[in-house]
Amino acid sequence: MTSTGNILVVDDDLLNRLVLSTNLQEQGYDVAMAENGRQALEMLGSQPFDVVLLDLVMPELDGFQVLEQMKHDSAQREIPVIVISALDEMESILRCIEMGATDYLPKPFDAALLRARLNASLANKRLRDIELEYLEQVNRVMQAAAAVESGTFECDSLNPVAARGDALGQLARVFQNMARQVYAREQSLRQQVQELQIEIDEVKKARQVAEITETEYFRDLCARAQRLRQRNGK
Amino acid sequence: MPKIVSVHSFRGGTGKSNTTANVATLLAVRGQRVGVVDADIASPGIHILFGLEEDKMGHSLNDYLWGKCDIQQTAHDVTANLGNDVKGRVFLVPSSIKAGEIARVLREGYDVGLLNDGFRDLIQTLELDVLMIDTHPGLNEETLLSIAISDVLLIILRPDQQDYQGTGVTVEVARKLSVPCMMLVVNKVPAAFPTDEVRARVEQAYHAEVAAVLPHSDEMMALASAGVFVTRYPDHPITAALKQVAERLSRSG
Ligand SMILES: Nc1ncnc2c1ncn2[C@@H]1O[C@H](COP(=O)(O)OP(=O)(O)OP(=O)(O)O)[C@@H](O)[C@H]1O
Ligand SMILES: [Mg+2]
Repeated sequence: MTSTGNILVVDDDLLNRLVLSTNLQEQGYDVAMAENGRQALEMLGSQPFDVVLLDLVMPELDGFQVLEQMKHDSAQREIPVIVISALDEMESILRCIEMGATDYLPKPFDAALLRARLNASLANKRLRDIELEYLEQVNRVMQAAAAVESGTFECDSLNPVAARGDALGQLARVFQNMARQVYAREQSLRQQVQELQIEIDEVKKARQVAEITETEYFRDLCARAQRLRQRNGK
Repeated sequence: MPKIVSVHSFRGGTGKSNTTANVATLLAVRGQRVGVVDADIASPGIHILFGLEEDKMGHSLNDYLWGKCDIQQTAHDVTANLGNDVKGRVFLVPSSIKAGEIARVLREGYDVGLLNDGFRDLIQTLELDVLMIDTHPGLNEETLLSIAISDVLLIILRPDQQDYQGTGVTVEVARKLSVPCMMLVVNKVPAAFPTDEVRARVEQAYHAEVAAVLPHSDEMMALASAGVFVTRYPDHPITAALKQVAERLSRSG
């Protein structure tokens, strides 16, 4: 299967750029090109890439500086970087790999090697993307838990996680259901607390009281009540 | 110690009988000799709480009111059904549960004044410290009499709009009858309600003391009047609150 992906080719040598880009486009990749480090960083900042092919020796900003800055950017840190370099620059290659480069590609290019390294990097990137997305969604569930505690939880915030078919999705769905139930319960309690507003219709009460107290029996009882109590008390 | 404590509520099913039976038991635990009268002649029920079986009932309040017997003959000592902690005594005067007798008393009525004489006799002959009267909801003549002769009136209400209005009427009527001490018990309060808030609001609405705020309890529901709650659940929050009522009654009057 032909891999697809967005590749950024960074090289100050026009011929190298053309050779690489033609080769990559034939393999079905979308290719963008930068002719120095500064331009490369600009492009990285404005659009997503799946892999960067990075030459080391360039004017303006060289490959090391690009790599360094990428590793300081949380969005770019995860993009695999394949360093392009002559084999006699082994020291530089090692340094790049220490700085976080994924792999290297010796000049002159070998098409088969290029394809193999790209595929490996892309596969890694995809796995890493899945992992990152998973972590991000785990984080959402944890934030949801904190939000429930602070009373700021909104059920819909978990929708993207709840849509997952895996155990994390199930956790999010259970969580949403429980939160909905708690919310419904709180609503009904709030309603009940409102019922605790003790409202007495005074006019109606006066009428009800009068119906009882304006009877012969009641007047008589009032007169006797005190006496009866005293007698019982003995 | 007050001589006569009436337990009343404007509407039915609020917890009068359960409150009466439990407070009576707690007073007996404190060593008091307690009389309990089922003055809910139209729908008697407190005998069930005290485990008094129908065939052992003998004379009832109805027999006394019809002149068939003395009031002392209607009093049943139910202390033995209340466990071993009871140092005092509980005597129950049940109301007849025979349909014919209930129908007759409702149809023919009776001399309400006899009730008062009966209560007085009971207190004297049984040497009671306190007589508790479980009343019929509403404000009919015998209930008004019970209220009128009470030293303490305990009014039970639930957090419910209909209870609020009726309680307002009862409180007003009791004031006109100059009942020396009137206290409210708020029962069946949802567990999540803040007790202090409920107490404050009710006291403010009626300008009367709230003796207890009792939560709605599944255990109480499940017991379904088949016994006296405080003897079954000595450590329950409701028992603690009812103990305060008993304590409060002992202090008053
Ligand atoms: N705090 C409570 N929590 C749950 N259930 C309760 C509570 N208090 C009382 N009940 C239940 O409510 C029902 C009515 O109680 P009770 O018979 O004591 O009321 P009542 O006012 O005497 O009623 P009636 O007017 O019919 O004589 C009973 O089933 C009782 O178990
Ligand atoms: Mg009752």
